[in-house]
Amino acid sequence: MSFVPGQPVTAVVQRIEIQKLRQGNNLILGFSIGGGIDQDPGQNPFSEDKTDKGIYVTRITSGGPADVAGLMMGDKIMQVNGWDMTMVTHDKARKRLTKKNEDVVRLLVTRKSLEEAVKHSMGGYPRP
Amino acid sequence: MPVDNYTNMEEKLWILEDLNMMYIRQIALSLQDSDIQKKIDHEIRMRDGACKLLAACSQRDQALEAAKSLQTCSTRIMAYMSELQRMKEAQVMQKVTRRSSDAGPMDDRLPCKGKVAISDLRIPLMWKDTEYFKNKGELHRCAVFCLLQLGGEIFDTDMVIVDRTLTDICFDNTIVFSEASPGFELRVELYSCCSEDDYSAGSTPRKLASKLSSSLGRSAGKKLRAAMEPGPCSPVSNGGAAPLLLPVPSVPGPKYHLLAHTTLSLSHVQDSFRTHDLTISGNEECSYWLPLYGSMCCRLAAQPHCMTQQMMSGCLKVKQCGGDPQTWTKVYAVLKGTSLFCYHRQEDVEANIEPAFTIGINKETRIRASEKDPHSKVQNICISNQYGGEAVTHTLTTDSREDTHSWMEAFWQHFYDMSQWKQCCDDLMKIELPSPRKPAPVTPKQGSLYHEMVIESSDDLSSTVSDILARRMQELELRSQLGTSPTWMSVFEENNAKCAGRTRHCTSRLSGHSPCTPHRLPRSPASPHRCPQLGLLSSDASLTSDSDSHCSTSPCSHHHGWPEPSSNFSLLSSSPSRLRPRTLSLDAKLSTLRGRGYGGGGAFQCPCQPPPSSLLAPLPISSRSPRTQHSTQTTLSCSSSTSSNSSSNSEGSHSPESSEGVPFSRPSPARRSLRNLRARLDPRTWLQSQV
Repeated sequence: MSFVPGQPVTAVVQRIEIQKLRQGNNLILGFSIGGGIDQDPGQNPFSEDKTDKGIYVTRITSGGPADVAGLMMGDKIMQVNGWDMTMVTHDKARKRLTKKNEDVVRLLVTRKSLEEAVKHSMGGYPRP
Repeated sequence: MPVDNYTNMEEKLWILEDLNMMYIRQIALSLQDSDIQKKIDHEIRMRDGACKLLAACSQRDQALEAAKSLQTCSTRIMAYMSELQRMKEAQVMQKVTRRSSDAGPMDDRLPCKGKVAISDLRIPLMWKDTEYFKNKGELHRCAVFCLLQLGGEIFDTDMVIVDRTLTDICFDNTIVFSEASPGFELRVELYSCCSEDDYSAGSTPRKLASKLSSSLGRSAGKKLRAAMEPGPCSPVSNGGAAPLLLPVPSVPGPKYHLLAHTTLSLSHVQDSFRTHDLTISGNEECSYWLPLYGSMCCRLAAQPHCMTQQMMSGCLKVKQCGGDPQTWTKVYAVLKGTSLFCYHRQEDVEANIEPAFTIGINKETRIRASEKDPHSKVQNICISNQYGGEAVTHTLTTDSREDTHSWMEAFWQHFYDMSQWKQCCDDLMKIELPSPRKPAPVTPKQGSLYHEMVIESSDDLSSTVSDILARRMQELELRSQLGTSPTWMSVFEENNAKCAGRTRHCTSRLSGHSPCTPHRLPRSPASPHRCPQLGLLSSDASLTSDSDSHCSTSPCSHHHGWPEPSSNFSLLSSSPSRLRPRTLSLDAKLSTLRGRGYGGGGAFQCPCQPPPSSLLAPLPISSRSPRTQHSTQTTLSCSSSTSSNSSSNSEGSHSPESSEGVPFSRPSPARRSLRNLRARLDPRTWLQSQV
């Protein structure tokens, strides 16, 4: 999912709504993120394009809120509650996900399988 | 004297204002609509209370809040008044039409109402970069809030104080309007008021005000004058579409002005966040001006009642064409949302038992009445859907002709609703009711955000540093034995129970808030591509040749990418001194130690920007070991990072892409390549955070 600087990014996204789980004084989502514009994108094992500095899901706690909501490892997070995540630092991304006054995060995520699914569906049934 | 005339007029305006209120009350009474009457009375009382509070309160925040309620109340009163006028008109028109003997037009179908919710309002600001990074000088603050109006309902958001450290104005409230028709117009208005104490309108006598404004600087004077007089940039805002009867008498205290507005309608409704354009009123000269980017981001969702409520229910007999058995099934059917739910019995509906079957009713469905059944003389209703290319038809029949008619009527109404509410009827959009939550703890801002970092410092620095180092080496040894590579995890301030100890010198002492101990191993994901941990080296000679790499003396910051040289660098540039203020980061202290060790060798160059991933220099090592030749052995991970830091300083910090503008003596090419290699092999270049 490479991008051309200055051009809008298009991607097939899936909406995932995660209800945060309260554990004591903390609200957890149950996954880990990696990436960011201040990180080295070459180290990202999940990205196709090794210059992609986006935020990727690196692990999911099984049974946790993210797992229940359908988030998968390797997903690239495009938006969180309307905030863009394609051009943020790692810390900013973490903060956007862990706001204490929000019980629910609505993510837009993209993954390779989504693009392929769309391609297949468009190939099979030509829409009028 | 002009002052007397002024007060005279004020009094008259107040009297007329009271007359206004009485007039409104009278209209409400005459219409005998107790609902509106109560609402108006309530608002008038609130308004009086707000006026009194404004006159009485001394604190600026209270005054702002009271002014906000005053604005809201006035707007609501205006809205009620216009509604009253409309109702009065309608009453009069009704009397007129009743006299005529026409049958009147047929009842037009009215679409069902629905709930509209707007949440997560965010308005980006566009400060000039010089303003944003200014550290000194007064902070020009404005108090802003949003007024949202749909039909007769008006709500306001909480007030937010905005100054140049904010990049966006965020309103966390979720506002739900309960009775909205599909042709709704949601008017969003942003009001702002300058929050400086000097500019309280109306309290300074004119002569003094003009003297002040002429004696102050040009821009300050302009602002002052603008705030004093109701000029073109501060129109008396009535907040509503209804025409003003009279100018509102000026209430002492802060006054809000309309800064921007926009109108949202059904086409803007979507189940996700969207950006809308704002129309900005006012210009830079006004006191309440904020540099808006020009757009607003929010989530506008709608739940029409046809999706959430039962539109029609009753007993039916259903037969599926082509399926078996070819007999009629008696069901209790409920029409809601995009389906007709057929339950075996009526009690199942309340008991939340799964319906026997569900017939989809959406935009693709075709419903028609079939010919009269010769036996029962009742028309059947045929519902056909397309399920993946196949047409499936269900036939419904009822006991009487009236029932059939009412079901057909219900279907037509449902289709009409769906055509009016358009995209809201595809899927049910979620609307969260605002739940009472604890207010987030407010941290008082002390100027720049850099001050929010808490660094616990100790008195004897050298022992601290050696402790840290010893612990660090133990930790790294442990890790290398285990074979796991340390992940570079950011230290969490807020809600993480676990945190990874940094492999550099940022230990638990630096992490201030989070309770991590240096011995806690990070949770490292399976990352097979990470290179094995480099062994420890006690001699850190590689550092010494890179003595010029003082960019590693950047302060440890939790917040990446902040160009905040501030106090730390000033210390570095000066000769190392014994006195250290308490707020210095460990890094800066380490750097002073190192400076002492070298006796100021090499130019002290501070980078303009700290490297994005916060790194600390292992400076104390170098301070304690003599200068030796640069060794090519595999080095300490910490020392390697310094060297990588230094080398990549010419290219950037850890990651080769980031750029650093630090001038320093470049190492020889051979060493550089080695360091590049180390930089690339350094495993701690990809942070992962647990959320």
